Amino acid sequence: MLRSARVTDAGIFVRTEQDRAVDVLFDGRRIGSFWLQRDTRQAGEERKYPWPDALRRFLDGVTTLSLVDHVSEEELFSADVRLGTGEERIRVEDAQGNPLGLDKSLRLMRLFESRSAEHVKPLLDSMEAVLAALEKAGVEPFIAYGTLLGAVRDGELIGHDSDADLGYVSKHDHPVDVMLESFRLQRALVEQGFAVTRYSGIAFKVLVEESDGTRRGLDVFGGFMRDGMLYLMGEVGHPFEAQWIFPRSRTTLEGRTFPAPAVPEHLLEAMYGPTWRVPDPAYKFETPQSTVRRLNGWFRGTRVGQEQVWGKFYGHGPQAGPQGPSEFVRWVRECEPDMRTAVDVGCGYGRDVMWLARQGVEAWGLDFISRAFKRSARRAERQGLPATFLWANITELRSVMVTGALLARLPGPRVVLARHVADATDATGRSHLLRLARMVAGRSGRLYLQVQAARSPGNGERGVKALDVEALLAQVADLGGRVLERHDIAEDEGDDAPASSSAPTICRLVITWNP
Amino acid sequence: MIARRVRDSGGLEKRVAELEAEVQECRQLNLRLAELTDVVMELLLPVADRDEERVAELLQRYRDSVNDPPVPGPR
Repeated sequence: MLRSARVTDAGIFVRTEQDRAVDVLFDGRRIGSFWLQRDTRQAGEERKYPWPDALRRFLDGVTTLSLVDHVSEEELFSADVRLGTGEERIRVEDAQGNPLGLDKSLRLMRLFESRSAEHVKPLLDSMEAVLAALEKAGVEPFIAYGTLLGAVRDGELIGHDSDADLGYVSKHDHPVDVMLESFRLQRALVEQGFAVTRYSGIAFKVLVEESDGTRRGLDVFGGFMRDGMLYLMGEVGHPFEAQWIFPRSRTTLEGRTFPAPAVPEHLLEAMYGPTWRVPDPAYKFETPQSTVRRLNGWFRGTRVGQEQVWGKFYGHGPQAGPQGPSEFVRWVRECEPDMRTAVDVGCGYGRDVMWLARQGVEAWGLDFISRAFKRSARRAERQGLPATFLWANITELRSVMVTGALLARLPGPRVVLARHVADATDATGRSHLLRLARMVAGRSGRLYLQVQAARSPGNGERGVKALDVEALLAQVADLGGRVLERHDIAEDEGDDAPASSSAPTICRLVITWNP
Repeated sequence: MIARRVRDSGGLEKRVAELEAEVQECRQLNLRLAELTDVVMELLLPVADRDEERVAELLQRYRDSVNDPPVPGPR
């Protein structure tokens, strides 16, 4: 099957005409998999499989690298190789020494194949707990996607998978009703004591704390049927019959039974195509564009910049971050010597909030990455400062409304600050930001905005893009706002601001809703 | 004749792209409507009670059901 293969720091080079899924093994342990044609590109006479980014930092040392046909388990190639300059055996492990492998999305994860039965038990317990909670909340959940595939195919979790998926098909047939039901489910789960984080109008993750303190997320995908089609978040739009879902059946997974659709084979075909019975560790969803458009249009758009930009930027766990106020907040303070309440939308680490609080202003920080401000929140509590931090998401209308309602009850004048928020979100986020500011500032206070108004060397950094200020001003006017001051300035400052140049690239605005 | 057909198909392509964008705009109303309905049902009507304590509790409870959970770890 392979006419030749060689391994370098750049990747794996093969000569072959076939397209099959092969596993890459380091010292006999599977690290990842790729398709010989689909995942490679022509490099002279050979096909090149570049090392996946997630793996690169480990590739310094020696290993016995083998390529094995995933389905037939035939070894196609094996050689001792040296990558980088290291002398040691290459170990693809996390900080605790647990083996990691690439999942189908090329993320390095603790895969099931590297876990023992005792490691899997807490996951199965969590699945049962969340299934019971969903059932109690009024839907008929089942195991879905890779978890269902493993159960039906082998009665086991799939070795190259790393998480468990649950799903349900709503009895409603209109997207609005299905979303309202999903909101209700989230409330019910929160009331039952679960931590839930929402991904879209009909999908969320339930975070379950396991005995060793690790938090595991179980994805819950909502679905519904309409006009003979089944739509299931996040990949399915397929002709379907209700009797293939209801009444649910039971299927065996790792020795326990779990709820499954009435005829799981139909759902698996809708999820993975007619070849779902053939294992494929490098599977890529080929969701039709029409389905992607439908699911995007109906349900998505509430996480702009959340994982891809800021989630990555802030890393894991509470963050230290830079200290001291920004030039922006100093300027706002000068303009507003009498403010009683300040609300910093998109507060990040919370340094401006802390600075205002130290001056006796009742200061509130809002951000959609709560680990960013956790340290500041702790410090404020310890030092008895009037600083409060809240999770809020300006691309989620419900979050905007309830946060606005809460903050509008605080003593005035209330001033709203938003530094590089309007230029880091989308059009919906911008209109929600202005609405939130209007609710909070009311007639007593003002909104202070700082946005990127022209391209600069750091343009595009962390999702901040030059904004059409005239269009923003039109949006302000639409919402009954009035611009009191506009300053076009050359320099921005601060270590977490985009880089600047000498031409005016930054625009500061002061906005009122007082006629 | 051929030129007209080419021109027409180009026009059609553009119109389909516009139509797709417009359909997508309409689809996006679903999420807005669901969020708005949820807010009205869960917040606005009970808030009209004017029971100050209940309103505060309600805002907190609704926020908890929308928010991301707090970050775990020692406080």
